Amino acid sequence: MKVLIVGGGKLVYFLTRALISKGYSVTIINRDAEECKWMSRRLKATVVYGDGSDPQILEEAGSHSTDVMLAVTPNDQDNLVICQLANLRFHIPRTLAVVNDPENEEVFRKLDITAISTVGILSSLIEQKAGFDQIINLIPLSEGKINVTEVELTKDSPVAGKALVDIAMPENSLIASILRGGRPIVPRGATLLLPGDRLIAITLPENYGRVLRMLTGDVS
Amino acid sequence: MESKPVLIVDDEKNIRLTLSQSLEPLGLELDTAVNGEEALAKLKEKNFGLILLDLRMPGMDGMEVLRQVSRLRPDIRIIIITAHGTVDSAVEAMKLGAVDFIQKPFSPTEIRDLVSRVIDREKLDEQKADDYHSSIELAKRCIGDRNFDAATEYVRKAISLDPSYPEAFNLLGALLEIRGSNLEALKHYRAAISLDPTYEPARRNLHRATSMEPKGTITLE
Amino acid sequence: MLSNHRLHIIVVGCGRLGSYLANKLSHDGHSVVVIDNDESAFNALSSEYSGFRVEGDVTEFAVLKEVKPDKADVVIATTREDNVNLMVAQIARRIFRVPRVMARVFDPKREEIYRDLGVETISPTSIAGDEFLKALKKQPIIEKAEP
Repeated sequence: MKVLIVGGGKLVYFLTRALISKGYSVTIINRDAEECKWMSRRLKATVVYGDGSDPQILEEAGSHSTDVMLAVTPNDQDNLVICQLANLRFHIPRTLAVVNDPENEEVFRKLDITAISTVGILSSLIEQKAGFDQIINLIPLSEGKINVTEVELTKDSPVAGKALVDIAMPENSLIASILRGGRPIVPRGATLLLPGDRLIAITLPENYGRVLRMLTGDVS
Repeated sequence: MESKPVLIVDDEKNIRLTLSQSLEPLGLELDTAVNGEEALAKLKEKNFGLILLDLRMPGMDGMEVLRQVSRLRPDIRIIIITAHGTVDSAVEAMKLGAVDFIQKPFSPTEIRDLVSRVIDREKLDEQKADDYHSSIELAKRCIGDRNFDAATEYVRKAISLDPSYPEAFNLLGALLEIRGSNLEALKHYRAAISLDPTYEPARRNLHRATSMEPKGTITLE
Repeated sequence: MLSNHRLHIIVVGCGRLGSYLANKLSHDGHSVVVIDNDESAFNALSSEYSGFRVEGDVTEFAVLKEVKPDKADVVIATTREDNVNLMVAQIARRIFRVPRVMARVFDPKREEIYRDLGVETISPTSIAGDEFLKALKKQPIIEKAEP
């Protein structure tokens, strides 16, 4: 699987190393000539020198055959444009932008870009009353043994309009939370699932596909 | 009140200009003052019905102007112009009868709508006011008259008519704080926030009321 | 000359282009809000400028909300960075539903995608380039210039 990362710094270095050790093929786009040289010496990755928000550079970096794109530059605006180009121009199937301003996480989502806010994660860890050693890292859990997935229901979804208790969830899976209108609901048996609801589903790898199909009706 | 002139008090020329231009379509007689002193002087010359007052001015600051106007002419309605991030909209402002605020920058429509609302409020018929918005407007008119008990009644009525607006709860909280019922006030600020977690006035009030800082200001807008 | 109706316009960036637009639009009687990260940029505004000025980084959502894009008729993004312009333009259009949104985009390669997303883009590079070419065609080179 081919991963394209736009950004630099220690984060990108260690991330690339980790991905390569798992067998992924990684290309990095970076705007600093010195950093590019440094990374290409130390990493078994392709390093492209240039602006990741320039369609030309994205093309050169092999975006057409890329599976996953990560935009992790320090600037939210660059990460936005990079991911949009990746989606709309190069049709990269999975893109992720890191945002610095936690409020931009929701903003990007409204622009159809998946975004993750490191500040958001850290501040909610601090706010949670449990001690740090009791905090479970949500993504991923237990060395990939548990999946936490967000699924948005459409009106065509087979479970839309049904009560949670009437949905036969496979064993070892559950709907942990529902985001409705931006607010989280703890679902109970009588909770009706509505189109537009974003469900947080917890599954094991073996029943992941089944649960997803059940919720989305997607047989692909 | 419709026919009475409006006084614009702001040290920035562009704000005075913008306000004059924006309010022109309303056909009101407008006058301007560049600072507090000039404003107070003009008050003696003309019978203004409404003052648009910027809180942050060099020299005599907005709060002081508000205090003096409130003392000399408690009948004049006041709209306060605030800048972002200023800890303003004090319980002092409300105690002095000012309950309407507009934050810079604002569009011509925004200020026109607010001025129209304040003017129309004077004509409201109490007998006919049986919906949420009218009740809130009447509450604000009472605050303008420093009649806080009546204001509280109208806000409570508004809430009973429609309990889904954070504004009413925040307003009630502020009125309770003025009365000295601080714990109850907190409950209402929290109620406002639970209705809308992004409702800034209530957030600021709750933050101020629950922080160690004893001196603070109640936020209405 | 713009329509007689008085518009509420937000100009993002107070550089040469931003201040030029802000001054002209204000002069034409529109309500203008200018926002720039750097307060000294407002020195470029004329003394007759009758609009608002706000200092702040528009890529921070809280700052953008401060200038109330939901009340604007037009947003024009003129910062030096294409990506900032594209980001604020999109947010204005797709989230705040501003009726007209325009962005200066230096790199013509990015223009197409953004037009599809409802942002009007103006690329000084393409415009200047086209003007040069037009001028060249009008007067073909016949003689060498005098020394």
